[in-house]
Amino acid sequence: MATPMQGLARGRRVAAVAVVAAAVAVAAATPNGATPRFFADDPLAREPETQDASTVEPWSIDLFVDLTANLFGHPGDPTPNVRARDVNTVDEVPDSSWFTNRIGAGVVPLEAIVRGPVTGAGPAPGPWTVVRPKTTGFSPGFTMRDTQGETWFVSFDSPGFPEAATGAVMAANKIFWTLGYFQVENHLALITRDRIQIGEGATIRLGSDRRRPMRAGDIDDILRRSHRNADGTYRAVAGRILPGRVLGGFRYHGTRPDDPNDIVDHEHRRVLRALKVFGAWTNLVDMKAGNTLDTLVTVDGRSRVRHYLQDVGSTFGTGALGPREYDEGYEFLYEGGPLLARLFTLGLALPRWATIDYVDQPLIGRFEGARFDPARWRPRVPTAAFLRARPDDDFWAARRVAAFSDDAIRALVKTAGYSVPAAEQLLADVLIQRRDAIARTFLPAVNPVVAVAMAADGTVTFDNAAVAAGVAPAPAGYSVRWAAFDNATDVATPIAAPVVGAALRVTPPATLPTDPGAYVQVSIAATGGPRPWAVPVQAWFRRTGGAWRLVGFERLP
Amino acid sequence: MMSGEMSMHMGSRTQTKAGPHPRAMSPRWVGWCVAAVVMAAPSLTRAQDSRAEAIAAEQAAKAARLAPRTPGGLERLVLWVERELVEAPNGFHPLFSSVYSGGGLTGGLGYRHYLGDRAHLDARGSYSIKSYRLVEVSATSRGVADGRVDVQGRAGWLEATEVPFHGLGLDSSRDASTFAMTHTYGGATLAVRPRPWAWLGGALNFEQYSIGAGRRTPSTRTVFTNQTAPGLDAEPAFVHATASAALDSRPARGYARRGGLYEARYHHYAGLDDASTFGRLDGEVVQHLPVLRESWVLSVHGLAQTTVDPDARVPFYLLPSLGSGDTLRGYSPWRFRDRHALLMSAEFRWTPNRNAVDMAVFYDAGTVAARRGDLSLNRLKRNIGVGIRFHGLGVTPLRAELARGSEGLRLVFAGNAAF
Repeated sequence: MATPMQGLARGRRVAAVAVVAAAVAVAAATPNGATPRFFADDPLAREPETQDASTVEPWSIDLFVDLTANLFGHPGDPTPNVRARDVNTVDEVPDSSWFTNRIGAGVVPLEAIVRGPVTGAGPAPGPWTVVRPKTTGFSPGFTMRDTQGETWFVSFDSPGFPEAATGAVMAANKIFWTLGYFQVENHLALITRDRIQIGEGATIRLGSDRRRPMRAGDIDDILRRSHRNADGTYRAVAGRILPGRVLGGFRYHGTRPDDPNDIVDHEHRRVLRALKVFGAWTNLVDMKAGNTLDTLVTVDGRSRVRHYLQDVGSTFGTGALGPREYDEGYEFLYEGGPLLARLFTLGLALPRWATIDYVDQPLIGRFEGARFDPARWRPRVPTAAFLRARPDDDFWAARRVAAFSDDAIRALVKTAGYSVPAAEQLLADVLIQRRDAIARTFLPAVNPVVAVAMAADGTVTFDNAAVAAGVAPAPAGYSVRWAAFDNATDVATPIAAPVVGAALRVTPPATLPTDPGAYVQVSIAATGGPRPWAVPVQAWFRRTGGAWRLVGFERLP
Repeated sequence: MMSGEMSMHMGSRTQTKAGPHPRAMSPRWVGWCVAAVVMAAPSLTRAQDSRAEAIAAEQAAKAARLAPRTPGGLERLVLWVERELVEAPNGFHPLFSSVYSGGGLTGGLGYRHYLGDRAHLDARGSYSIKSYRLVEVSATSRGVADGRVDVQGRAGWLEATEVPFHGLGLDSSRDASTFAMTHTYGGATLAVRPRPWAWLGGALNFEQYSIGAGRRTPSTRTVFTNQTAPGLDAEPAFVHATASAALDSRPARGYARRGGLYEARYHHYAGLDDASTFGRLDGEVVQHLPVLRESWVLSVHGLAQTTVDPDARVPFYLLPSLGSGDTLRGYSPWRFRDRHALLMSAEFRWTPNRNAVDMAVFYDAGTVAARRGDLSLNRLKRNIGVGIRFHGLGVTPLRAELARGSEGLRLVFAGNAAF
């Protein structure tokens, strides 16, 4: 027998079912009840940031917490194979507080690549006034104010490794700016001890609970850990203080809970997933929150959080204190599989890094391209974004790497200011080798059809990025399918039989709609090519003003 | 954002997970109804005409539920470990270091107070599962004179309640007697590093020892006499001076895969009252030979300890000894004691993980003798073993080893490098 309470509960359930059924019925009967796939403003060229972020508070992401979480915690969205969410409807990353489209999206002049984020001159002549010692990273340094009152973050080379760390910072800084990331404005500088003084109120941290005024000996300590040139100078990188209020770093997963504009989980941002490829190219092994920085800036009268890859100096073959460890770039700090394999074989499961040869060049360190395998490259710690990168993310990033010409690479390497020509030559040569390896690896790994366009008469043209880059032979042909597309219901209806041919130009079927506002979906797959090329890319066009405009593109579902 | 709600990002249609501050729903069935309606008819709740508006709506929704980030339990634990064990602040701190060899698992509490940059005072007390106790105060200053000099003064008292004694010599009984020992000490040490690879050291200490009956039977007093266990009935006091010199090319003392140590130490025990005066010379060699970028390491260790004055009466508990996790690992702590000792170890190490885990198979061989001339490579106690070490850049916080000698298997846990 049902109790009165059970009866009441059953009654509520019946009522609930009725409400749900009514809602569904209403929705089904409502014209345009579904969200359209494409809006009128698609594809976005800039990621909207509509909310004022002035209430965002600074935070500190602890190194050990960040390292532990990423090595052992599997942070971020556990859903596998999630398409990047910071891409617009044509599968491109719009400009945002994370990223600015530069190389790959258009031609970047050589002089712009060489200039990078630089907006003015370096530190003003005269003494440097130290306001605090460097508190992060291993390289020696401090924060100082020049005679014009400008604040700079200064880091030096380690003893015995002149130009190594500072050169890497300079060249990598230009690379990542050209790729599209917000970067610190860096300048090379020479300084002597007698031009360094301690500012009033400068303090040094002695521990978690201790601090005292800086003394001359503290500067001597820092310089003792820095490389001193024969003429008594110290070479430094001076990074101009970033505009805005410093908020601390960002994580490679989740969102910043107090930033209202940060609505895309960072592991699903293509610009962060792409660091898998950009990191492999440059050997950016130290991928961690501590090397990032958020600042609060005012844009168009509204506060926004801007996201910097603040420290990209952990690149190429040298670290802050000398050449990289042999395993860096080959294994995470902890990786269960290789660990167990070596543990039970007395080390006979030999890792690849054990047999890689390097050119003996202390300015560059352990950086090579001959045996470089981009697909197997590893940062020290796997970020959630790194682990969730999909082949379409890799492809997007690889096209940008491949867009660096030899001349561009040699020009930006020159900004490292190496005094040894052989070092400059080596770094450029290796970067070129690794660029080519990245193109060979990632461009053919998905259907590489790009630049799909539809002329006013409906003729479709496209290109094959892998073939164009010379890293794959042309397939036997392409299969092109046409469909009318209902934007409201997301349903595609074939309008013609597939067209198969070897040409990169396809004439439209006679049944192609021409009504204003009509949508057409075009699917292009390669035949007789690598297996991933058989998965068709999808392109959507909207008839506007007598022309067809690309409004959607999807390389992988 | 409610669970299951459609998310309109730059262009992808995606399901998003629940936000950190879900809207309160009560009663639950009302929430189900609302959610179902939202799922079924997004147009009823969202009327954006553009992508930008859709994204703006999501951002506005988040703006309505902003919250500062709060660390989770694991994060708080890591932060605590970092603050208390790595950064070593003022105040109380935990201790895990051994009181005395053979004392077993040890815990303790210390109180640290800094004086200036590098100097600190420390008061500490430790207690082991065998009831070994230690109380100590110290003043330490490291890295003075441009990082080249370490100075420490300390005074303390320890009690070890069941220290084993098997008798003297290599043929001593496998069965152990035990004695209790109290040790009171105070003095200062100085270490100077004129070059990064060279150390000079000196120490001057007052030391007093007292021997009693061990907690476990048989007691040493009942099995041995003052002749077979020199110093058994005495409560000697010494002024113990030490001088040492070392060439040390290892990256760190606590963990290394390359480099070597070549060290000589001289101990001079000046007896007070009736105690004898004697000296002991120690020579130690460690060499790590990395193979193929430290994929493997051949490590060798040699230690010779010899009492300098052949006629001096040396208390049995201050004699050179072998046995324990740092010497003959297949034998119990303090297993072999005599006036002279020789130890040789070799390890074949491989590195499953360069940053955290080493494995090793090892071979130890050692001997003790009453006369230096009787130290013979033909009379050695040997063991073999295998071990795993969890290490950091320059420390080995945990070493677990299984060693087999002529007296059976021994499991060794230690908080330092083998050598």
